[in-house]
Amino acid sequence: MTTAPAPTLLKFIGSKYLVQRLVLATLTGRPIRISQIRASSHSSPGLAPHEVSFLRLLDAITNGAQIEFSYTGTTVLYKPGLITGSAAGQGAQGGVIRHEVPADCARGVSYFLLPLCLLAPFSKAQINVLFTGPGVITSSTETGDVSADTVRTAILPLFRSFGIENNIELRILRRSNTGKDGKGGGGEVQLVFGHQVRLPKTLHLMNAGRVKRIRGVAYSTGVAGANNARLIEAARGVLNEFAPDTYIFSDVSSAPFVPAPERNNPAAKRKTGLGFGLSLVAEANTGVLYSADIASPPSGGEPPEDLGKKCAFQLLEAVEQGGCVSNIAAPTMLTLMAMGSEDVGRITVGKDVLGSEPVMQLARDLRTFGMSGWGLREGDGDGEVVVSIVGKGVGNVGRKIA
Amino acid sequence: MAVTLGKRKRTTGVVDRTDQNESDNEDARALFQRAFEAKFKPLESSAKPVKAAVKSHVGDEDDVDDDDGGNGNDESDWTGLSEDADEIVIEIVNHDVVRSEDEEARRREMKAFMSPKPPTSHHISPSVSKRPKVDSADDAKEGDNLKQDLALQRLLKESHLLDSSSLQGPTAAPEGKGRLKALELRLQDLGAKKPATEQVRMPLAHRKGIAAKATGREAARRKEAVENGIILEKAKLAARPEKHRERGVIAPGVGKFRGGTLKLSSRDVKSIEGPQQRMGGKGRKR
Repeated sequence: MTTAPAPTLLKFIGSKYLVQRLVLATLTGRPIRISQIRASSHSSPGLAPHEVSFLRLLDAITNGAQIEFSYTGTTVLYKPGLITGSAAGQGAQGGVIRHEVPADCARGVSYFLLPLCLLAPFSKAQINVLFTGPGVITSSTETGDVSADTVRTAILPLFRSFGIENNIELRILRRSNTGKDGKGGGGEVQLVFGHQVRLPKTLHLMNAGRVKRIRGVAYSTGVAGANNARLIEAARGVLNEFAPDTYIFSDVSSAPFVPAPERNNPAAKRKTGLGFGLSLVAEANTGVLYSADIASPPSGGEPPEDLGKKCAFQLLEAVEQGGCVSNIAAPTMLTLMAMGSEDVGRITVGKDVLGSEPVMQLARDLRTFGMSGWGLREGDGDGEVVVSIVGKGVGNVGRKIA
Repeated sequence: MAVTLGKRKRTTGVVDRTDQNESDNEDARALFQRAFEAKFKPLESSAKPVKAAVKSHVGDEDDVDDDDGGNGNDESDWTGLSEDADEIVIEIVNHDVVRSEDEEARRREMKAFMSPKPPTSHHISPSVSKRPKVDSADDAKEGDNLKQDLALQRLLKESHLLDSSSLQGPTAAPEGKGRLKALELRLQDLGAKKPATEQVRMPLAHRKGIAAKATGREAARRKEAVENGIILEKAKLAARPEKHRERGVIAPGVGKFRGGTLKLSSRDVKSIEGPQQRMGGKGRKR
């Protein structure tokens, strides 16, 4: 049997959108080279800890991937393998891949969860990854990551519209906010993604509907539960006017205890990841979800009332932007649509969402990876655009072979 | 000190005679009142006796608290609640029922939302079993029909088990051994794999004997049938145990691999090729 000629290498520059490019490379099976990663930085050139950790994760869930770093870490060559998931004998123990996140990781766990959820439907076996270690932050972070709660309540339900809905779980086993100087946490999160498909269904989402209810989770780790009550009170003060069916659940937990070895006491432990936060999800009658997230900064000094109000305003802003997909969920939805069958899927997107930098860059990157371009036309609503995406039928490479 | 404490405790435990008398009195009065009200119309002042009881209770406690238990009379300087308090009508509003229902729904929703699964968009309403109303006469008829139907089915299926003795009873049902056999049949109909009456543990000799007897009986029956010219059903051949194909770990799943060569029989080749497809044209030309 002769192997197909290797697809040409795609070249990218810069550290931005690294994860997005790696995911697209894995899905389409095209090798990429990313160069000049923070090349101009004198203090910390090359890949950041979270990026290295993500590459490790990619290596763990795929089979036959090749990753090569340059000496300084400013260039990465990635040849994707097959997405095997948590199949036995591939580094998964008892069907679970343990992924340790280093303590100097400044990104929330959703930085790993979102791309993993994008890869998971196309995996060969189910994906079952336990994120653990001293770097797992389940709350939202100042670096722009959403909380694990938002992933569960606002992102994972979106997969249902693509026909991916069974056996999906995101267990937040231990909560953690950002640790000191915004790095590290000590939480624990397990993602089980057991619904694999050959191709996601074609999506037609034209009507955003009206927001009918708002739900949310207020969490505080290692601090008084009264913070939750104050967050909820402030958020409800804003939101109750618009949606009387508002309910925010409260979750109080103790701070994670992570090992912090000292010279004369190697078994020492310390508490980390103290703080509180709020995750809000607004649900429209058509099933469209908008979300907002906020967490106390690691430096402190923000009263819960302010944060609750800010979060509520954020949610209102997301609703105001309109469309059937919010800012946070747009890349996931649009990528899945591009991976779908060779059929035109349509989705209404708010102009502000569509015009945002990540979405624009996603469109460009998809083009680079050989996907078809997007068709845009003015939507029915004010400030809305209907995006038509023709799938490429890339789908599940592992299924094709098997 | 301990002694006095004990004494004090005892005094609290003692039931006041007068109080009990009074309560007996009250009970009697309440009884009478109820009887009266049942016959005529409700009386106006029904709250009075309760008030009295409260007052007397307070008085008792005061008595207990008195350190010098020597005098032990009911009269003390505190005369209980003032008369003005009686005029205040205490209205009790109970929200308990509504609250519990609300709480239930909230808890259910919390469970749904906070579970590890992504929350579903549609709200799951509490399971209310709606049963279509059927008038009782129709229902009874339907039930009767079903019963008769079942009886008929059973009669048809198990009629071979019936004998003269079983027909004497009020209902024609097999009895004794026949009943057990009928049960067995019903179980098999429901999908039982093995007979329930089969003995699981038994000496090997017995088992062999039973098997031998069964095969002997079957053979005798067949022989008799042949002699009498009766055609029986075809004898079922015992399933042969499947031969285990010896195969190496990485050996191919087809053919025989001996001495470094893979030998394919013509059957193997056919199985690999699959059903022959006709080449173009219509049959062979002559």
